[in-house]
Amino acid sequence: MTLQRQLMRAALLTSGLALLLTLVGFVTAQLITLRESTVTHLASLGNVIAANSSAALAFHDTEAAREILGALRADPSVVAAELFDQEGNYFAAYPISISPQNSQQMPVDGGHRFEGRYLIDAYPVVQNGARPLGTLVLTFDMAPVYQQLLGLGAVAALVAVIALFGAYLLSRALQRQISEPIAALVATASAVSDRSDYSVRAARVSNDELGRLTDTFNKMLTRIEEQRGALLDSEGRVRAVLDSALSAVVVIDTSGRILDWNQRAESMFGWQREEAVGLNLVTTIIPERYRSDHLSGMQGFNDSGAMPILNQLIELSALRRDGTEFPVELSISAITTGSTTTFCGFVTDITERRQAQRRIESQLNRMNLHNRITRAIGDRQDLPSIFRVVLKNLEDNMPIDFGCVLLYDNAGETLTVGNMGASSALLARQFDLVESMQIPLEPSGLVRSVRGELLYEPDLHDSSFAFPRRLSAAGLGSLVVAPLLVESRVFGVVVAARRTVAGFSSGDCEFLRQLSEHVGLASHQAHLHSALQLAYDELRQTQKTVMQQERLRALGQMASGVAHDINNAISPIALYTESLLEREPGLSDRGRRHLTTIQQAIEDVAQTVGRMREFYRPREAQFEQARVDLNRVVQQVIELTRVRWSDVVQERGIVITPQIELAAALPTIMGVESEIRDALTNLVFNAVDAMPDGGMLSICTCVSPSPAGSDSPVDEQVVLEVRDTGVGMDEDTRRRCMEPFFTTKGERGSGLGLAMVYGMVRRHTAELDIESAPRQGTVVRVKFAVPASGPESAVRLPTETTTRRPLRLLIVDDDPVIIDALREILEGDGHAVTAADGGRKGIELFAAAQAGHEPFAAVVTDLGMPYVDGRQVAAEVKALSAATPVLLLTGWGQRLLDDRDIPPCVDRVLKKPPRLRELRTALAELTLPPRVQ
Amino acid sequence: MMMTAAGWWATSASAAAPEYQLKAVFLFQFSQFVEWPVTTSVQNAPFSLCVLGEDPFKKYLDQAVEGEAVDGRPFAVKRYQRVEEVEDCQILFIASSATLPLESTLAELRDRSILTVADSPAFADRGGVIEFVTVDNRLRLRINPQAAEAAGLTISSKLLSLASLVTRHPEPSQ
Repeated sequence: MTLQRQLMRAALLTSGLALLLTLVGFVTAQLITLRESTVTHLASLGNVIAANSSAALAFHDTEAAREILGALRADPSVVAAELFDQEGNYFAAYPISISPQNSQQMPVDGGHRFEGRYLIDAYPVVQNGARPLGTLVLTFDMAPVYQQLLGLGAVAALVAVIALFGAYLLSRALQRQISEPIAALVATASAVSDRSDYSVRAARVSNDELGRLTDTFNKMLTRIEEQRGALLDSEGRVRAVLDSALSAVVVIDTSGRILDWNQRAESMFGWQREEAVGLNLVTTIIPERYRSDHLSGMQGFNDSGAMPILNQLIELSALRRDGTEFPVELSISAITTGSTTTFCGFVTDITERRQAQRRIESQLNRMNLHNRITRAIGDRQDLPSIFRVVLKNLEDNMPIDFGCVLLYDNAGETLTVGNMGASSALLARQFDLVESMQIPLEPSGLVRSVRGELLYEPDLHDSSFAFPRRLSAAGLGSLVVAPLLVESRVFGVVVAARRTVAGFSSGDCEFLRQLSEHVGLASHQAHLHSALQLAYDELRQTQKTVMQQERLRALGQMASGVAHDINNAISPIALYTESLLEREPGLSDRGRRHLTTIQQAIEDVAQTVGRMREFYRPREAQFEQARVDLNRVVQQVIELTRVRWSDVVQERGIVITPQIELAAALPTIMGVESEIRDALTNLVFNAVDAMPDGGMLSICTCVSPSPAGSDSPVDEQVVLEVRDTGVGMDEDTRRRCMEPFFTTKGERGSGLGLAMVYGMVRRHTAELDIESAPRQGTVVRVKFAVPASGPESAVRLPTETTTRRPLRLLIVDDDPVIIDALREILEGDGHAVTAADGGRKGIELFAAAQAGHEPFAAVVTDLGMPYVDGRQVAAEVKALSAATPVLLLTGWGQRLLDDRDIPPCVDRVLKKPPRLRELRTALAELTLPPRVQ
Repeated sequence: MMMTAAGWWATSASAAAPEYQLKAVFLFQFSQFVEWPVTTSVQNAPFSLCVLGEDPFKKYLDQAVEGEAVDGRPFAVKRYQRVEEVEDCQILFIASSATLPLESTLAELRDRSILTVADSPAFADRGGVIEFVTVDNRLRLRINPQAAEAAGLTISSKLLSLASLVTRHPEPSQ
């Protein structure tokens, strides 16, 4: 639709609407006015009639009412009138034909209303302004009124139509003034846009806004013309810049079509700019395998506007026109101008850089490998494992196809195949090379390498030597042999081979040379390490021995305390038993037998307790030893333990076969027979316990020469050997078996058996040797030295002095039981005994007696007492009377004797439990009249 | 009560309606269509509606004027047996049972601005102002305008147009 028609339409629509509104307003106003005047007219009429009919209503005169209503005949428009009385009942009507049935319903509110063409109004009938007497309803026909209105409307419409036509003619004439200059401007603008001719100018028609618009338009054209010139200049510069760039620049749109292509791109990809522009980038320079990635990336940008690779340097391959690929570095930037986006790709050929990089990488890899191997070697201390790890790494990571280590023995002039890599070993089978195989040095062609040089055979097929030819036969092409040196002495070579001819670069050779140097050093270190390990092990063994002794010493101290208490406890038993045996009249044979047994048992207890705290002590000079015949001891033990290894086990249905081999003419040894017996008994019990399913128990004695190099003063040893075929011990158990309280027997074992054996061995300066392995049985050997010659030990038994003089004795002890026992026995011997139940009391009694006429002949005191002990008592006694002998009784007796720790002022120490005989002897000896003087 | 009676009457318009009920309503209506001369003495007094002689209206008269007023004056219904007792009165219904002869009664009331009403035959002719007559079973009025004029009363033309006028002048009784 042209501007012309739009303007006209606007004018006509506006004026038409105005006219229509006027017309409607006019007619409506007329209608309202006419209606109102009609209502007013009718009201005046109605009010008159209503006033006139008041009396008729008041006095119920229907005829009079009808007459009054009949006056309405004068106005034909009033078509009906009705009168209703005060209560709304029908009273009279006009015309008379209207019956109450078809009359109008009386208006309720009294106001007027229009019903169709009729106006109906009601008026009150009032007299004297007092209460209404009734209502008059008039119906007025509006038809004549409406007809009059229709006529008016028709005239008004006619006037409106004429006015509209006038408006049309007027707007037609006026709109030309506006539309014509605009049309001229449009023609100019389309000329500019169609021909891109910015020199055209529009003609100015008027001086109003349109005229100014034309001027502005012309100025705008001038500016565009200038800017276009500048733009063309700048484009030329950009092109020059792009063409001089070292990178190829490729510009594409979002659909992947090439928009621009610089000179560098021409030379790099082989497409001229004219050819490339308009092509699809994907099929032009992107290799087949990248195309789907590229397309999905572009799709991603078109969908979401995001492209993760933007503005990053990425490396990939590009395609030349001739189909060859080459590595490139690419960065893409998105350029958004307005709503269009173009992608600008900068591509650099990085073929040379890649090659350099690869060289560096391989160098780095070798360094890494070197590092790794060095570290791995550092963790290892033995040669085979060092070689294994070196070869494994070379095979896997260098990589080589064949690798082995040949060990060189300077003297033999041969090479020994040491280690081979895992995969090399497979390959080596093809040319019959196995580990530990000897290769003669001379024809092998490896002579130079054992002199310390690196050997490189780039092509094994040409070699005339034996070893390279062997490898060549298995398909290997090139070989490097690197010497292994320790302190400039070659002890082996590392052989590395590859299938390819000339497969080792100078870098590889250098690497192997350095590696072999390292391996050489490492193997040297391994030697040093193993020597160190040996020394360390010895040191540890020594330390363990010391610790064991220490532990035993602590145990011994504890045992001493226990022994003391036991000795004290059994003292009365020993005294009474001995006294009963000696003096009890009428003792039955049975009683005597039992008492004798008790006496022996007490004796054994005292000895056992004594040994318990002795077994850790090294043998001392005064240790009472005698010549012992081991064969006899063995026979005794066999008898003693028979119950254990024969009867008891047979009840369980198993058999232990004893095997006794006793050497004839076995030399006697020096020792304590009971200790050796106990030790052997323990060993036999252990052997039996080790064979829960039966087996063979063998005990033998023999003579063997002293081990060479030992500084033993004797030449021969007597060996006592106990052997079983039982469960044996593992290494850990064997190491700990002699520790006190270490047991494998659970609740049944005390953990002291072997510890006591060990104590015996130590005291006899013997050697103990245990061989065992799990399920292999156990052999325990005790080796005693044979004394060169020794005097028969004179076992001096105290001779009982039969002569007993009655003496006055003081007994001091804190244990009333012991006091009673001693008193009874000594009084039985005829002595006069005074007892003191403590050190202080003893001293007081002694002092009192000394001051009186009957001093004590001797004092017998306990050592350990609260407040004042035996030493103090002895000191006081000696202070009062130096001649009075003091006897010290003590549960520590043996130790005091051993330690040479007899307190001063004490004349004799007797251990508890005291033997009556010893006590008597001591008393007799000490109280002898001083004849020796 | 009055409403139902009037409604019933209006629909049937029969003479069966209690005669005196209708007459009571008419008595009230007369107060609306007649003007009394204005005297200061009666300005604020109640509008008196009186019955002389035996009262035939019973309660109807009271019902007819209940709650009504003339120019703001409330109604007062008064009953007299003797004409001498009649004092301030605007409308006087003279029952047929009145003891005195009619002429003497009217003479007693002359010059006293009282609207005299009666249903005695020829009441208007004998000098009364308004007479109730029954024609064709309908209650109709006869009015003596001269008597009204003599009493100083102005009767509305509307009322006059409904009634039959008695033009014969009565013989002067004096």
